[in-house]
Amino acid sequence: MPKLVVKNLRKMFGTFEALKDVSFQVEEKETLCLLGPSGCGKTTILRIIAGLEVPTSGEVFLDGVLVNDLPPQRRQIGLVFQDYAIFPHLSVFENIAYGLRVRKMSEAELVKKVRETASLVDVESILDLPSKKLGLSEMQRVAVGRSLALDPKLLLLDEPLSNIDAKARERMRTELGKLQKEIGIATVYVTHDQLEAMTLADRIAVMRNGLIEQIGTASEIYDNARTLFVANFIGSPPMNLMDCEVVYDGNRVILKSGDLALDVTEFAETVRGKGEGEELVLGIRPEDLSLDVQKTNPSAIEAKVQLVEPIGARSIYHLRIGGLTVLAKGYAMPDVNVGSNLWATFNKDKVHLFDKKTEEAVV
Amino acid sequence: MVTKALTETVRYLLIVVVSIWTLAPVAWMVSLSFKGPAEWYAPNLIPLQPIFDNYISLFIPTNPIGGSYFFTSITEPITKPLINSLIAAGLGTLFAVLVGFLAAYGVSRYRAGGTFIIFFTLLTRMLPGATFVAPLMVFYASIRFIDTYAGLILLYAAVTLTYAIWLMKGFIDEIPPEWEEAALLEGASPWTVLRKITIPLTKGGLAASALFIFILNWSEFLFALVISVTEVTTLPVQISKYVSAVGRMYGTMASLGLVATIPSLVLGYLIQKHLVTGFTFGRIR
Repeated sequence: MPKLVVKNLRKMFGTFEALKDVSFQVEEKETLCLLGPSGCGKTTILRIIAGLEVPTSGEVFLDGVLVNDLPPQRRQIGLVFQDYAIFPHLSVFENIAYGLRVRKMSEAELVKKVRETASLVDVESILDLPSKKLGLSEMQRVAVGRSLALDPKLLLLDEPLSNIDAKARERMRTELGKLQKEIGIATVYVTHDQLEAMTLADRIAVMRNGLIEQIGTASEIYDNARTLFVANFIGSPPMNLMDCEVVYDGNRVILKSGDLALDVTEFAETVRGKGEGEELVLGIRPEDLSLDVQKTNPSAIEAKVQLVEPIGARSIYHLRIGGLTVLAKGYAMPDVNVGSNLWATFNKDKVHLFDKKTEEAVV
Repeated sequence: MVTKALTETVRYLLIVVVSIWTLAPVAWMVSLSFKGPAEWYAPNLIPLQPIFDNYISLFIPTNPIGGSYFFTSITEPITKPLINSLIAAGLGTLFAVLVGFLAAYGVSRYRAGGTFIIFFTLLTRMLPGATFVAPLMVFYASIRFIDTYAGLILLYAAVTLTYAIWLMKGFIDEIPPEWEEAALLEGASPWTVLRKITIPLTKGGLAASALFIFILNWSEFLFALVISVTEVTTLPVQISKYVSAVGRMYGTMASLGLVATIPSLVLGYLIQKHLVTGFTFGRIR
């Protein structure tokens, strides 16, 4: 049975609807990431699951039991706050031991458990330090350790890496990932950083304005974005989106966007439902455009380089294709500069099509 | 360079002026307390013939001051008023701080009383005491609270409760609710959270508020004067009683005034460790 079931959650703060209708499940040992921009309601969901907020309507089930009326101290959930919320007047040992002391565990057992947890999160060497002297990553580990000491059923993490500088973040991300695999506890993870979501989560729920737009694995969301928002949010640099319209020319189906005409006859089936002149949005990720100095591919389109952003082995090329600015990510080509001409080929398998009005995916 | 020296001089000058302004009355009190009756109206700061009689007569009222007998209404030493003050101010402060802390916690965390509750409670302090001292007296008389410890203590607690709530809400607001929520999630009951997390972290604020309220209660005069008759006279009231047929006994009033500051000083000294912790405590980021 799923560890956590959230059904039709709705939350109003006065007249502001923070959550509209949110439902999802988390299985045992699974890590679900709630990904979305600030203010989309992801922290609110976390707080409702933990019991710190009461939903306006909707249900939360833990291990199949309805826990709506259960106060937070009885839910056996661990929550790591964004600013870690370490008790400053206690030492690291006492912070981790806090919950165990509340449960009046025997001293010997307590010490053993704290040391176990401390070694799990790698804070054994600083157990006796007062918490005021800790650095950020140490605080984060203590916070995680504190939640885990009680063997909770579910672990909730609220943007745990957002306070750490970029360099340390990579290391912490790897450590967190390793920790999750080791402990194997069901986890819900909130973040606005898509890279974190993609690397740490088994499944991602992309949220906007109090609703989940799509839930799926990282590759599902990346390759098969279901809405315009999801397509645009995931991916760095973001997906190129171009307004276009359907044109039927004899047997061929063409998507016209300004001066750009893309022949999509192979996909005539999927596009068939759309009438002539219907407006769609064409999406292609920068890495799905192949670039070449010469027209090696018959369907390649001419592009003029406007800007080159070198990012190591690859570069991001800002191209002007038929009146539109398109970003492409390709191997660094040393002789290509501003003003050069390149030939871009659209990888038709990776083309996304969205209905302009509903913003939903057609293909 | 010149302007810097100038600003420094002006600064020091100002400091000196303000210090003299503040401490002059205290200096005069010290001087008065060592003067005999002949010198009480004299303008010299240093007594020409210093005596200890003013202090001695506080404890042995029949002791002649400066060699002359003053007929006053005082026949007892100040020990009783001193104890009365300690009890009234001490217990009043204790109740005010206790109730005030819990009330402040409710207002801060649970938004008890609505958005304007602090404003409304502060309103009660905007009325001068003199406006309701008469009805208070009538009320107290009807429930036989005149000249009782209970009456005075309750009054002091009630009157300073507003300050307690107002001050402590500020200190409680400083503690991020996340810390309490984290403790809750660790399984602590709300009371445990209060005891183990909130109070230790607001100790400084509690100490500072307690001291402030104690000083308020300790130096309270109007209500003590009205409520007390003989049993619960407090030190401020006692000071006002040092009059004789030929005039006020300034020397003894001065000496008692100085003696009366000692408990507040002692209390401040005892809790200063907590005061410092309270005010220098910052967020842990």
